[in-house]
Amino acid sequence: SCPLSSRCCGPSSAGPAMNCRAEVLEVSVEGRQVEEAMLAVLHTVLLHRSTGKFHYKKEGTYSIGTVGTQDVDCDFIDFAYVRVSSEELDRALRKAVGEFKVRGKTGSMKGFKGKPNICKGPPGWSRGLVWFYQKKKSRWPFSDECIPWELWTIKVNVVNLANEQERQICREKVGEKLCEKIINIVEVMNRHEYLPKMPTQSEVDNVFDTSLKDVQPYLYKISYQITDSLGTSVTTTMRRLIKDTLAL
Amino acid sequence: MAHFETQYQRLESSSTESPPGGGDLLVHVPEGAKSPWHHIENLDLFFSRISFCRARNGFTCMLIGEIFELMQFIFVVAFTTFLISCVDYDILFANKALNHSQHPTEPIKVTLPDAFLPPNVCSARIQANSFLICILVIAGVFWIHRLVKFIYNICCYWEIHSFYINALKIPMSTLPYYTWQEVQARIVQIQKEHQICIHKKELTELDIYHRILRFKNYMVAMVNKSLLPIRFRLPLLGDTVFYTRGLKYNFELIFFWGPGSLFENEWSLKAEYKRAGNRLELAEKLSTRILWIGIANFLLCPLILIWQILYAFFSYTEILKREPGSLGARCWSLYGRCYLRHFNELDHELHSRLSKGYKPASKYMNCFISPLLTIVAKNVAFFAGSILAVLIALTIYDEDVLAVEHVLTTVTLLGVGITVCRSFIPDQHLVFCPEQLLRVILAHIHYMPDHWQGNAHRYETRDEFAQLFQYKAVFILEELLSPIITPLILIICLRPKSLDIVDFFRNFTVEVVGVGDTCSFAQMDVRQHGHPAWMSAGKTEASIYQQAEDGKTELSLMHFAITNPKWQPPRESTAFIGFLKERVHRDSSVALAQQAVLPENALFSSIQSLQSESEPHSLIANVIAGSSALGFHMSRDGQASRHLSEVASALRSFSPLQSAQQPSSGFQASGRDGEGAQPRGASAMTASGADARTVSSGSSAWEGQLQSMILSEYASTEMSLHALYMHELHKQHAQLEPERHTWHRRESDESGESAHEELDTQRGGPVPIPRSASYPFSSPRQPAEETATLQTGFQRRYGGITDPGTVHRAPSHFSRLPLGGWAEDGQSARHPEPVPEESSEDELPPQIHKV
Repeated sequence: SCPLSSRCCGPSSAGPAMNCRAEVLEVSVEGRQVEEAMLAVLHTVLLHRSTGKFHYKKEGTYSIGTVGTQDVDCDFIDFAYVRVSSEELDRALRKAVGEFKVRGKTGSMKGFKGKPNICKGPPGWSRGLVWFYQKKKSRWPFSDECIPWELWTIKVNVVNLANEQERQICREKVGEKLCEKIINIVEVMNRHEYLPKMPTQSEVDNVFDTSLKDVQPYLYKISYQITDSLGTSVTTTMRRLIKDTLAL
Repeated sequence: MAHFETQYQRLESSSTESPPGGGDLLVHVPEGAKSPWHHIENLDLFFSRISFCRARNGFTCMLIGEIFELMQFIFVVAFTTFLISCVDYDILFANKALNHSQHPTEPIKVTLPDAFLPPNVCSARIQANSFLICILVIAGVFWIHRLVKFIYNICCYWEIHSFYINALKIPMSTLPYYTWQEVQARIVQIQKEHQICIHKKELTELDIYHRILRFKNYMVAMVNKSLLPIRFRLPLLGDTVFYTRGLKYNFELIFFWGPGSLFENEWSLKAEYKRAGNRLELAEKLSTRILWIGIANFLLCPLILIWQILYAFFSYTEILKREPGSLGARCWSLYGRCYLRHFNELDHELHSRLSKGYKPASKYMNCFISPLLTIVAKNVAFFAGSILAVLIALTIYDEDVLAVEHVLTTVTLLGVGITVCRSFIPDQHLVFCPEQLLRVILAHIHYMPDHWQGNAHRYETRDEFAQLFQYKAVFILEELLSPIITPLILIICLRPKSLDIVDFFRNFTVEVVGVGDTCSFAQMDVRQHGHPAWMSAGKTEASIYQQAEDGKTELSLMHFAITNPKWQPPRESTAFIGFLKERVHRDSSVALAQQAVLPENALFSSIQSLQSESEPHSLIANVIAGSSALGFHMSRDGQASRHLSEVASALRSFSPLQSAQQPSSGFQASGRDGEGAQPRGASAMTASGADARTVSSGSSAWEGQLQSMILSEYASTEMSLHALYMHELHKQHAQLEPERHTWHRRESDESGESAHEELDTQRGGPVPIPRSASYPFSSPRQPAEETATLQTGFQRRYGGITDPGTVHRAPSHFSRLPLGGWAEDGQSARHPEPVPEESSEDELPPQIHKV
């Protein structure tokens, strides 16, 4: 479920972490619009959370490479957005969104099969989560910690439309809605809140995802809400039990 | 460098732009990641560990202490095994002669090694004893568990250790001499630099406390609102409290972190519990969960029992060996710790407070030795003593007496017997005064039910106090019984309360930005949870369901403000503190006028001498003892309200005491003026004492650990005086409004004890105080006429202040009652019908505090 970071050590629990900003966006779209809507949101978030590649020099300074941007027109929505012009990043996001679509379908199927307790929202809802995190190197017995500092939850509600006319209206309405969301995102980004400090060369991997050639986003991870609350609670309980017996 | 395919093209080189690839590109310097303390994942745990590390005097002490405990455990087990299996007791007791064949005729000296069995025999004996092996295996598991725990904790606390050294800049060697407040101030400072919490720029003291005590605050609130089934009315034992560690563990498991608990994770309540819509469903779910956990407890009962016994054995045998008297010694019970704890009070604060109250508390309990037992004990001691005296005299004459079989044993047993008997004989030269003692206790423990006051000499009060302050032996016994009783309590008593519990968590959880979900009581907001009988009349908007009992909100607020003088309380709380301060001023001026009239009385000095031994710094003790002694003298004259002014004057007299310590501000009055000139005068602190502290902590002359220790001592004394003062005010209020008073403490009201008190209070006039035989009596003094007039004037004023707002409780408040009602439903005469909630209201999320 980790599209990019290969050794998946991301945030463990499904809920938001304790010391982590959380933003929630909700969109209602038609089935075929899901992919584009998600991409629009994800790309916008990542546009603001990416920098150019760092080039470290002597004396501990660095310069930042350039980042190109490009406009993307949507096919199914009356909407255009700006994204970082990095094919690699785009590919990664598309892959994640593709997975999301599959998951979302099975998820809603699960919801219909008479397990309404397990799905938190109504069956049409599915959530994509974008975590931004920092790695923290630990001493030997512990594995590296990944500490999330920002979480974007994108709730997508898939609606079914009856006829072409409704579809036309939806096309426009979704475009407007998305526009609002994008503005929301920009507002959040403008808020000068906590961002990891710029790292030194040795620590750049702890803050930024340096695997891409042309752009350097903050370390991020895309996942989907695991609504199986029972499963997670059992594991957290076990962890708590062990921790509790070990605590002084 | 990758090249981009973008639709935006770079501008052809303009004159201002530097040539690409040259050395003149914008150059940045990485700013951070030098310290690893930015943005810590689990702040709750982090802060708790910091606090714990300080309480255990730093990393090294913890490390060494743990290592020694591990070694001690091995020693105890190994030595016990050795004594059981490897010693030939026949040789030791000389029942069997040593078979040294060389010199059969010579008298043989038995040496210790002679009594030891050879190793092979020894190991064979151990292997033959299957029970011993079983115990050894369990002990081994126990030890390995502790070892793993030790290693894990060392790894965790190493991080804290380096945080202390690198970030807080406190070397470990000096950590024991730092107060928690200093450490906390540094953490607040660190936040500004490193942003360990990313939600807000600055941390407040309250944030840190909330994080450390998130769940404890909930438990305190639940005990305060009598939600947890820990008080029982048993057929033979009467009113009892059963609250053990096992039960507490189960409560926490159910509410906070068990499978399917109310909390989603360590810092947030599950979303469905925040909505009232499906509360019945959730209560149903909770009830079945409690059932399952109860059954699991039942099934695991034998295992837990064995564990408890072993644990008790290994933890207490050593203490018992060292001091057999410790079984008789009392300790504050788990319930007492919960009942007496303020909201937002850390373990070490509670501990030091209760430790200070220990001596007066045990003295108080010793007042109640039954005279019959005393007579029996005296006579037993007489007989035992005569035999002992004869034996000792004979031994002194000729020590061969000791060689006679069992003489030494007899002497020892008689000695122990006499010691036991003596503990039942009260000291002839001490005069006890239970009312006075209870007052001193109150100064430290800060909470007590209303009906204790004036009834301190009664056995019922003593019994109730024993619930807070129990015998250690009873404590151990309860712990051992706990595995059997806990599942019963869970299944029978806790399950019916599941709806109340769900309601409680919904109504009393607030989300604080940057902290997460906390108990709303812990906000110490007088407006939301104040109790009109505790001086927040007119300020509180709380319904009866929302009021914290026993003045918990008010006292907690005072306590927190006094212990954390730099904390800026919210507006309402500031107003409350300011109001209280004003009252103190006014009452003390009344008292000063009285003191001019009243000469020193004998009672004063006698109590002073009684107290001075129990208090480390008798100066402050005198303030407490003196004030309350005077206060008692007053109430004997029938004017209980003067208690108040006495305590107030003590509070006042306390502040020049401080300013005398402080060279900069000479006299109390000048100190007060200086406070007005301070920039932070708006956030008026409690009394001038607190102000003196903040001023002094700012001045350079007062920097230093010793000073801060002194200041924290003063803070605790100031809090003691405030507690006394607020209790006095409350008592007055209760006398003015007996109807409201009957609300207080549902369980205790059912006892005949408080009915008696109500009778008294309804009379409104002088309260006759019944006396015990040992009650001190001082010659009656008539107060001068002018004092009397002052007094009545004062009382009228007081009534005028408190009456409005409390006589008629607006009916709208009751709409905040939960559906299904609180447990007090049975008392329908006082309790209105629960108002059904609107569904639209239900969907509202709990209040969010933008902090």
